Amino acid sequence: MAFTLGYHILLVPLGVALPTLTLVMEGIGLARKDGVALLIARRWSVVMGVQFAVGAVTGTILSFEFGILWPRMLGRFGAAFGLGFAIEGWAFFLEAIFISIYLYGWNRLRPRTHFLLGLVLPPAGLLGAFGVLAANSWMNTPGGVTMQPNGALDVDVWAALFTKALTYEFWHFTIAIYLTAGFAVASIYAVAWLRGRRDHYQRLAFGVPFTIAAALAPVQWVVGDLSARALTFDQPAKFAAMEITWRTRSNNPEVIGGLIDSSGNVHLGIAVPSLDSILVGLSPSTVVRGLSSFAENSRPDAIESNLTHLSFDLMVGLGSAALLLTVWHFAVLIRRRRLPQSLWFYRLAALAGVGAYLTVESGWVTTEVGRQPWIVYGAMRVADAVTDASPVFLWAMLGTLFVVYAAIAFFFITLLLKLSRRWRQEDEAGSTEVFGGRGLPYAPRTRGVE
Amino acid sequence: MNVTLAYVIAAMMLLAVTAYSTAGGVDFGAGIWDLLAGRDERGRRARELIDRSMAPVWEVNNVWLVLAIVLCWTGFPTLFESVFLSLYPLFSVALIGLILRGAFFAFRHVAENPRDHQIADYVFGISSVVTPIFFAMSLGAIASGRVGAPGVSAWDASVSPMSIAFGLVSVCATALSGATFLIGDARREQAAELVEYFRTKTLIAAGALIVVGTGALAAIAVERRELLTSMASFPAVLLVAVVMIVTPAVAFLVWRRWFAWYRVLTVAAVGSLVAAWGVAQSPYLLPGRLTIDQAAAPLGTEVLLTVVAGVVVLVIGPSIGFLLYLDQKSALEPQGS
Repeated sequence: MAFTLGYHILLVPLGVALPTLTLVMEGIGLARKDGVALLIARRWSVVMGVQFAVGAVTGTILSFEFGILWPRMLGRFGAAFGLGFAIEGWAFFLEAIFISIYLYGWNRLRPRTHFLLGLVLPPAGLLGAFGVLAANSWMNTPGGVTMQPNGALDVDVWAALFTKALTYEFWHFTIAIYLTAGFAVASIYAVAWLRGRRDHYQRLAFGVPFTIAAALAPVQWVVGDLSARALTFDQPAKFAAMEITWRTRSNNPEVIGGLIDSSGNVHLGIAVPSLDSILVGLSPSTVVRGLSSFAENSRPDAIESNLTHLSFDLMVGLGSAALLLTVWHFAVLIRRRRLPQSLWFYRLAALAGVGAYLTVESGWVTTEVGRQPWIVYGAMRVADAVTDASPVFLWAMLGTLFVVYAAIAFFFITLLLKLSRRWRQEDEAGSTEVFGGRGLPYAPRTRGVE
Repeated sequence: MNVTLAYVIAAMMLLAVTAYSTAGGVDFGAGIWDLLAGRDERGRRARELIDRSMAPVWEVNNVWLVLAIVLCWTGFPTLFESVFLSLYPLFSVALIGLILRGAFFAFRHVAENPRDHQIADYVFGISSVVTPIFFAMSLGAIASGRVGAPGVSAWDASVSPMSIAFGLVSVCATALSGATFLIGDARREQAAELVEYFRTKTLIAAGALIVVGTGALAAIAVERRELLTSMASFPAVLLVAVVMIVTPAVAFLVWRRWFAWYRVLTVAAVGSLVAAWGVAQSPYLLPGRLTIDQAAAPLGTEVLLTVVAGVVVLVIGPSIGFLLYLDQKSALEPQGS
C-alpha cells in the first residue's frame, strides 16, 4: 500500500498542475498570437493525456487496495474517512470528461472555446486533491466522529471533512504539486539549454513553468514552517520523531542528520543548540515533547523515527536549495529582465525536477511513517486495520504490482523520450505543421501513417 | 429518512455498477474482439477501427468503478469490509488486469517496432477478457450468499458455480456490447466489409450470451434458489423479461441488417441484466446476512453523499452528454489524417 501510494503521489503533481501550466501557455499563445506557445501547450497536453491515463489506472488500483489491505479500517470509519474520497471520485469524473474534450478538441473547437473548456481542469484537479487530502488529514487528526452507546458511529460531516490538519496539509500539498510540476517541466528545457538550444521555444517552455515554481518556493517555505509548528499540538509524537527528540525538555537542540537508537541515544548528526525550541516557540525556553513521553505502543519505533527524521531533513534541505535557486532566478529576472545565462544555473535547474519529486516523496514519508503505529491517529493502529489475507498472498500481490508498476514506469519514460525525440526532429526539420494528433496516446491514426 | 437515503445510495451504487458494465462493457468487448482479430489484413483493419472507436471515451469508464467503490465504503462501510475480506483474491486479479489493459492500450500507440506492438496488443486483449470475468465473479460471489458467511474461506467465497457463471456471462455480454457498437462505428466510416465482420461477431456473441445466460440461471437454481424466486417475481421479473426479449431482438435486427435501435437495445439488455440481479437481491446487500438499512452509514454521511452526487450530476450530466455528442459526431477525431 505504502508503495502504491508512494507511486501514485509521484503522478499527482503533473496530473493536477500540468493542465494549469498548459492552460497558461495556451493563454499566452492566444493573447499574444504566439504560435510557438500554442505548439508547446499542445505538446504538453499530449503528456497530460498519457499521464492522466496512468494516473487514472493507479488511482483506481488505490481505491481497491484500501479494501484489499485495510478492510477493517474502512468498515469501522468508512462513513467519515470516505467522505473526502466521495468528493474526489466525482471530481475525477469531471476531470476525465474534460481532459478527453480538451485533448480531442484541439483541431475541432474554436481556440477560445477550447481554452475556456480547459479552464474546468484546474479546479477539478484541485477539488480532487482537496478530497484526498481531507481523507488523509482525517487519518492524522480524526474528528467529527462520536461513538454512540450501542457501538454505532455518529458522523458530523463538516467536522470530519475539515479536520485540523486539512488547513495546513491542503496548502502545503497544493503548493507542493505546482512547485514540483513547474520545476519538473522546466528541468527538461534546462537540459535542452545545456545541449545548446537557445530559441524562443526553449525560453518560453523553460521560463514560464520555472517562474511559476520559483514564485511559490518562498510561500512554501512559510507554509511548511507553519505546518511543522501545528504538528507540535496536533501530532506531538510525529513531531518528536521528525526531530528525533527523546526527552521532553526546553533548550532542545535541532539535530541535522543523525540517528536515534531504541534507548534514545542520538548518534552522528549535527546538533544546533536550542534551535528546535526556538523554531517551535521562538524562544530557547520552549519545552518540546520527546518520544519517551509516549507509551511505547503509541509512538514510532526507532527505525520509523529515523526514517521520519531523515526524510524530513531531506525535504527541508531540498526545499531550501530550491529557495536559493529561486533567489538567483528572480535577481537576474528583475535586474536584467531576462533569464539567467549561467551554466551552473541550468545545471542546477535541470536537477530541480528530480529534486522536487524527491521532496514530495520525502514529505509523504514524513507524514505517513511519522504517524506509526497509528493508521487513524489515536484511534486505530495499523495492525487492527489490516486484512487477514495470508502474508504470502500479500507479498505475491506486492511483487506483482511492483513488476507491473516498473513496467509502466519504463514505458512511460520511454514514451516521453520518444515523443521528445520526435518533436526535436520536427523542429529541426523546420516543419511548420502543428502535428495533428500524431503521437497522441489515444489518437488512432499513427499506425497507418508511419 | 435514514433508510430512504440508504436506498438512494444503494441505487446510485447499483447505477454505477450498471453503467460500468454497459459503458465499460463496450470497451472490454472491443478489447476481446481486438484479441480475436488475428494478424491478417482484415484483422489489422478491425483493430484500427477498434482503436478509433475506443479512443476518446475509454478512460471515463473507469470512473464508474471508482464511484461504486467510494460509494460502497462511505455509504455502507460494513458491506465494504465483508466484501473485501472475502473476495480480495478476485479483486486482486481484476485490478492487475485493469492496470495492464489501460496502460497497454495507451502504450501500443507509441510502440514503434512491430514486435512491441504485438506484445502490447496481446496484453491489452487478454486483460480485456480477464478483467470483466473477475469483476463479474465478485458479483456472483456476493449473490451466492457466501460472502461474510462464517467459516467460509476467501477462496471458497470467491470460487463457486455462481461466481463462475457470472464471470462467463460477463464475457458474452461485453463481447456483444463491443460488437454492436463496432458495427455502428464501421457504418459511420462506411466500411461495409467491417460492418459484415462485426455483424457475424454480434450474432455469435448474442448466441453465446443466450446459452451461457441460461446456464447461469441453472447455477443460481442450484446454489441460491431464493434469488431465482425473486428474479421471477415483481419488480425484478420486468428486468429479466427485458433481457430475455431484447437480447434475441438485437440478434434478429442485426441478422436482418436492420441497423436501427440495435445499440440502444444492447445497452438495455446488458443494463437490465445487471440491474435485475441488484433489484432481485434487495433489500439484501449480502443475501441472508446484511440488508441495506443495517449497513447504512450515519445520516450526516448519507446526506453529504446524496447532495454531492446531486450537484455533480447536474454538472456531469451535461458534460458527459457533450462528450458523447462530440464523439458520435466524430468531432473529436484528430484532423491530422
